Amino acid sequence: MTTYPERVLQKAYAWMRGHPRVADGILALALLACSAGQIPHRLIDMAGTLVVNVLLATTVSLRRRAPVAAFAAAVAIAAVQLAYGLGPGASPAFELTVTDMAVVVLLYTLAAYRPRRISLAGLAVCLTGAAVAIARYAPLHEAHAGPIVLLTTAAVGVTLLSAWVLGDSAAYRRAYYVSLEERVAAAERARDLEDKRARAIDASAARLRRIERDLHDGAQVRLAALAMALGEIKEDLAQAGRDAGTLKLISSAHQSAKDTLTELRDLARGIHPAVLDRGLDPALSMLAETSAIPVALTVDLPGRPSPAIEAIAYFCTAELLANAVKHTAAKHVAVRMREQGSGLLLTLTDDGPGGARVTPGGGLAGLLERVRTVDGRLDIDSPPGGPTTVTVGLPRHA
Amino acid sequence: MRIVIAEDAAIMRDGLTQTLTRRGHDVVAAVGDAGALRQAVARHHPDVAIVDVRMPPTHTDEGLRAAMTVHQDFPGVGVLVFSQYIEARAATELFASAPAGVGYLLKDRVADVSDFIDAITRVAQGGTVLDPEVVRQLLGAARRADALATLTPREREVLSHLAQGRSNAAIAGTLFISPKVVEKHVANIFDKLGLTPSDSDNRRVIAAIRYLES
Repeated sequence: MTTYPERVLQKAYAWMRGHPRVADGILALALLACSAGQIPHRLIDMAGTLVVNVLLATTVSLRRRAPVAAFAAAVAIAAVQLAYGLGPGASPAFELTVTDMAVVVLLYTLAAYRPRRISLAGLAVCLTGAAVAIARYAPLHEAHAGPIVLLTTAAVGVTLLSAWVLGDSAAYRRAYYVSLEERVAAAERARDLEDKRARAIDASAARLRRIERDLHDGAQVRLAALAMALGEIKEDLAQAGRDAGTLKLISSAHQSAKDTLTELRDLARGIHPAVLDRGLDPALSMLAETSAIPVALTVDLPGRPSPAIEAIAYFCTAELLANAVKHTAAKHVAVRMREQGSGLLLTLTDDGPGGARVTPGGGLAGLLERVRTVDGRLDIDSPPGGPTTVTVGLPRHA
Repeated sequence: MRIVIAEDAAIMRDGLTQTLTRRGHDVVAAVGDAGALRQAVARHHPDVAIVDVRMPPTHTDEGLRAAMTVHQDFPGVGVLVFSQYIEARAATELFASAPAGVGYLLKDRVADVSDFIDAITRVAQGGTVLDPEVVRQLLGAARRADALATLTPREREVLSHLAQGRSNAAIAGTLFISPKVVEKHVANIFDKLGLTPSDSDNRRVIAAIRYLES
């Protein structure tokens, strides 16, 4: 909880950040108001001082729009005042003048808004000017002048250095806030992208499933009915024992309908295996039961992961089993699917000769790519002589 | 034959009805979902029911479930399940209850009309029909196919009883040996057929299917 004064201050700061020119204008007016007490009594001096003070106020009001030019203008005014002894600063006593205040404010601005090499040069100019001013106006003829000069030198030096340090730290803080905001924005963007990717992956899995269903309910059924009708005609013609030419034609149409059915089935299975609709356990069991190498399968999953993840786990297992059959002389494969942390862990161990590697464009590389789309991982441990263990880690949801 | 058809695709349902009717069979009901199948079987007591695996509402395996309950509740009704895909597990589940009057075929087989009608007839008469694709899948590589040849005569005998759906105790009683010995034979059979303990639920059935198709 913030207190009431804090909230007011926060609002005030926010307003000032939102209106830099107005804020600087108010600062310039305040400076002008401070100078009112220092206006000399002689009319000619009064006019001159007023002109100088208005010029200084103008530089302050422009400080953020043109920090270097404003600083240079104020320093130039101070230099002229120093050279010709104009203004109230020309009195024997050391007084803080409007010029001094303007230069301090502009040095701060320089440090806050311009690179260090520029602001350090500005600081050097200010310190030199201050030294010259002290040397010029030091009341050396008075008694006890030493301590006064020393004290003044120290005070001016500390003031100028403080202005620079404050400005520099403001610049540093601002840069830090900017980087912080950038990091927050990057994190938000990453989260947003992750959300979108998960939705895209889920949508794509759902689309593949729909395509398979459409094939199943549409083309495959129609083709099967067509093949059945052709089969009927073929058998009728064969029984009638005539029209050998037509029979041959129908037979070839019948055969090609049956071949197309087989192709269509393989295609549909590659798009989305229907058995996955019943879960990973039956789907992986089917792979294990139909594998050419005996497979010891353990599936230990509480609940079901998202369909996209199930599909990735299924195709990984299918590909890895096919690899074991094709490329190794393995006699047994152990497949284990279980929960690990918040994700899933699929491990495949075969007793083949080992030496499996990911080669670009190979089956394992394709799997790796597929697994990576959901920030999963795929590790292969396959020392020469075996055994080979492939570990696939997947999240529960894309 | 008196036949009930359960298939949600109208074109296939009508095509089958037409073909079977042309061949002189009586399609007493053609329905589109599992609930209607049970009602139709209860009302008509057909010789055989032809059931599609995927039907509404979930389009996964309600046809298979319905076929299994029909087969349990109406022992005289043959059940032929046909499916767009062959799943060895579905076959083993189906044949696990009692491998008589049961069939499991790929949907494509309707294309060879006479063969398909032969299959329906066998199932209606209490026989068993298993799609060659199931056997191909289950046997996998050739090296597993030869496994049956390595069984001893006694083991083959035990397997033949096992294939008829008998328990170890029943086999022991028939062969006049102790259940322990039967267990040992069964373990040897599983071992020789390469059936690992993780498939325990299905091992008996897979072994039976291999025997039936050998």
